[in-house]
Order: sequence, then C-alpha cells, then structure tokens
Amino acid sequence: MSFTFSNENLLKIEALKKRYPSPKALTLPCLWMVEYQEGYISMDAIEEIAIHTDTPPMEVYRVATFYTMFHLEPQDKRTVQVCKTLSCKLCGSDEILAHLNKKDLNIVHAECLGSCGTAPVMQIDDVNYENLTIENVDEILKALK
Amino acid sequence: MSEMVEVIVDDQTFHAEKGSLLIDLLIKEKVKVPYFCYHEALGADGNCRMCMVEIEGQKRPQIACDTFIKEGMEVRSKGENIEKVRTNILELELINHPVDCPTCDQAGECSLQNFYMDYGLHDTKITIPEKEKGLKKVDLGSNVILDQERCVLCARCTRFTDKITGTHELGIIGRGDHAKVSTMPGKKLDNPYAMNVVDLCPVGALTSKDFRFSQRVWFLKTVESVCHGCAKGCNIYIDHNKIKYQDDVIYRYRPRRNDEVNGFFICDEGRLSYKGLQENRQHEIVLDNEVISEDEAIEALKDLVKKYKSNITVIIDANLYTEDIEAILNFSKEIEANVCAPLDIYRDEDFKDDMLKSAQRAANYKTIENLSLETKIPEKCELLINFNHPGKFEAERSIDFRTHQDPDAAFILPLASYVESSGHITNEEGITQHCQKALSKNDPLPTVIEWLEKVSV
Repeated sequence: MSFTFSNENLLKIEALKKRYPSPKALTLPCLWMVEYQEGYISMDAIEEIAIHTDTPPMEVYRVATFYTMFHLEPQDKRTVQVCKTLSCKLCGSDEILAHLNKKDLNIVHAECLGSCGTAPVMQIDDVNYENLTIENVDEILKALK
Repeated sequence: MSEMVEVIVDDQTFHAEKGSLLIDLLIKEKVKVPYFCYHEALGADGNCRMCMVEIEGQKRPQIACDTFIKEGMEVRSKGENIEKVRTNILELELINHPVDCPTCDQAGECSLQNFYMDYGLHDTKITIPEKEKGLKKVDLGSNVILDQERCVLCARCTRFTDKITGTHELGIIGRGDHAKVSTMPGKKLDNPYAMNVVDLCPVGALTSKDFRFSQRVWFLKTVESVCHGCAKGCNIYIDHNKIKYQDDVIYRYRPRRNDEVNGFFICDEGRLSYKGLQENRQHEIVLDNEVISEDEAIEALKDLVKKYKSNITVIIDANLYTEDIEAILNFSKEIEANVCAPLDIYRDEDFKDDMLKSAQRAANYKTIENLSLETKIPEKCELLINFNHPGKFEAERSIDFRTHQDPDAAFILPLASYVESSGHITNEEGITQHCQKALSKNDPLPTVIEWLEKVSV
C-alpha cells in the first residue's frame, strides 16, 4: 500500500517550499495534507513526507505522534469532538456527551473550541456545531450520513 | 585558539576558553555537577535540567550545559539553594520511575541512583498511587532492550543515532507522560555501533541483551585493555569476575575514552568479541591424537627441531603482543629458522567503514610491518612452527601453538589468549598501547614467552 500526494497537494508543496528557508518547515503542512487526503497518516505517507521535507522519517514520525490531531491509523468511526471546558459544561455538555456516547462514534473530549457564546459546542470535520440540544444533535448526525 | 579567561567556581579560580561550555570546565575540573542529557560526544541538549548552577548576576539558576564562559564569571555549584533546585528536578524525573533497582542491571552504575543519593533522599509528594506504566521489555534490535518505565528521556540514544551514526533509527515519540523512546513501527535499531547506546543511557532504560541479568556490576573487576578485533586498537575496559568455585570469566567489554584512537565508542563486533575468547579453547597438549604431558611435549618439540635443523619455518600471528613477537624472533634466531608472518589473510574489506572499523583485522599488524618480516612463506618447508596464525600451511611436519581448537593440527600446544596475559600492541596509526592482564584462570595456560623459556633451556 503505497502513498502518493494528489497533484493538487504536490502543487501546494512546491508553492510552500519557496516560503521557508529549509524544506523541513513543511513537515506540519505535509502532515495536514495527508490527514485530509487519506483520513489518517500511514507509514508510507511518512516516508513520502520525509522525502519532500528532506528529513529522516523518524523525525516526521515524532512530529506526527506529538500532535493528537493526527491519526496514525485508519478511523472506522466518525470523530466527534465535544467541548468539555467551562461554558459548555455549564450549558449542558454532559448531557450531550451522555447522549453521544450511546452512538457508535469516536468521541473526543476537546478543550475550549472557542465558541463559548454559543455553548454547548461540538466539532465534526473542522465544522463547529453550536447551541446543541439532544434533538439537534440527532438531526446534525442524520444530515451528515 | 581563542582567549583564555578566568572563571570562579565555588571560590576557586579556573582558566577556560572564552565561549566554551561551562559544563565542560566543571567536568574537567571534577566539580560535582549532576547531568543526564549532556555528553561530551553528543553535545548539549538541555532537556534534563539537572546541571543547574547559580551564576552571579543572573536571577535564576542556569543550566551549565547551555552557559558559555565569559570573563569574570562567578559560579556556585554548591549551597542550599542550588541543591533544593536539583532535588525538585530530580523529583520530577522520579514521578514515573518504577524504582526497580533490585532487578535493574544498571544499579550500581546508574546516574539516577547516584543523584538520588546526592540530592534526593526525599519522600515522594505524589499522592496518586498510579505511575504511568510502560513496556518493560522492548527489543529494539541489535542486542538492545528498552525498558520504557525507567527512561528519563535524556535523548542521548536518539542523538547518538542522529549525530554519530547518522542512521536516525531512534526517536522520542508522543509527549508528556506518554513520551517514550522508540523506533519506527516495523523498523529495528540496526547499525554496527548500536550497542553504544547501552553505555550512553544514564539509567537502566537501555540494557544489553548480552549482559542482562548476568552479573551485578559491583562484583565486576575492571581492567584496561585494547580490543583485538582489528588494527584500530579501540580502548576498552574488560569487566570480569571470578565467582566462588568457578573460573574467572569476562562478562562484557566497554569502550574506554581515548580521543587519539576511538573517542568514546567501540563497534558491536569488537564489544562482543570477548565471547570468542571463551569458546572452543584448546586446553591439552595433543600429539597425534594423544594427550601428553608438558615435559613430553617439550622433549618432542626439541627432537623435532633437532631433526629438521636446516629447514624450519616459524609463522607469527599478527595479533600477538610485541613482547611475544620479540621472544619468537629470538627463539627463531636460536634455532636458525625462517620467520614469516603472512598478512593477507587478515584483510577484510567488508568489515571496513569510515568510523572505527579497519580492514586490517589483526591488532598488531603494524609491528609486523615495522619489523619488515617476510610475509610469504617458503614454497617448501619441512618443519613449520605456527604461533597461532589462523592460516593453513602445507608442511611435512608442523607444531601448532594455538589458543583455540584446531582439528587439523597433529601436534598442538595450548596458548593463553590476549586477555590472559599482558603486553603492548601498536595500532594502524602507529600508537603503541598497553593491555593489562584481565583473567587469572584456575588452570592458566602458558603464554608464548613462557613456552619459549621452557623450550630453550
């Protein structure tokens, strides 16, 4: 199972390369590209990034393991990040969590998602869903399927 | 050379190069300063924070491994304040440490243990009983075993694979409590110098598969010697021990620092070469498949020498000590024999690399070269006396002095190996070094010199 960057991503890498004094700086952007392209970061992808960034694969792997946003294995369930910080907690994130836990989802307890005015909040695929109630959580999930 | 400046450390004045690292001065002047991550071969990393010292004019304590020497610097390495700082840092290191010293191979030579005795001696403030668990036995490859719980994340091992071997197998993955040393998934630690990480590891996280659980280090006796694996002449410590009612045995080789020869490290093949010295050894004197006594052997040898008076060839192994070679040369003169030392057999281009390994796999071949001994054996020789040379030679009759068994030899006399005697060898760069005698066997075998004294009387 080998990995190749999509043409679009390859163009992006070339464009980004001009910005930085060393290609090593592209490690994080490349990891993001792989995460979006494949949904996870495979070891083949790490080897590929190592070639583009001119760094040892171990260095790329270290960075990938350091950040919790990168998945190193294919995700078979939808990931839902639920905010567990103060405002959301006060506005009932516990009930939302209890409701979500009954479903077949990969629940991640996130720190503040930066949307306290519209608490409680959850994030799915970079989109914040705000002012949650048990009813609209079900609707949101239905719409996504 | 840059400017030398005066530095005051604990009211003592020292001279050091301006801009050099403070910790180098402290180590050189034997000022007691604890550190895990700093290593003279690997440079400063500044992650362990143990080498804190107070510097006059600086608000907070500074790490000595990231402080450059300036004119008139005043440093304090002792005192209540700084010791409290060190205790606190040590306490952080010990949060997740399993404190399994009784079963740890590093116990006795462990920095964490030593620093705890110096600066720790505290009761833990941690109230949560659970420590972060890790795997106790991860086989990293190349005879290196990792215990994730004991690791203090000093990154010496990862820096070794990054900076010294350039193979980049090891890295610290994850973060916080979950950070651990690892290889890439599915990959192994695989380079010919890998076992040096075991020496580099200041704690018991990396241990050698070869030495694990074989001895407590405080029972080992250490002598200084030189590796005989190739002509490089890497300096080593030989750790050996004679357990009651048993024989004296070598348990490990460790590299010994010598900046002129090998620096800090040795190759894995040299490190494990002690095993070959303890296996398949020749102990008896055998003549035509019959074990004979020493007196009979000396008699037989003298008879043979007398019989082949005019046509004797002596062959010298290029691993023998210079003293042994000289004794053989004197003996050869006495019996009017040809002397030769074929060197081609030692050449191994596959072994060579650009770090420490030399293609000449004979420890003392330089001495043979310096003596300009004949390297070709005569086409026809009647009596051949071979002093442990690994080659096979045609002769009417041969006498073999051997450290190891040789099924082809008709008349074989056992020899002490280099760890059972002492002497000098000259490495390929012409540096002459002394090897101490390591082992005192229960039944010691004669050295070359001892044999020749017996024979020539």
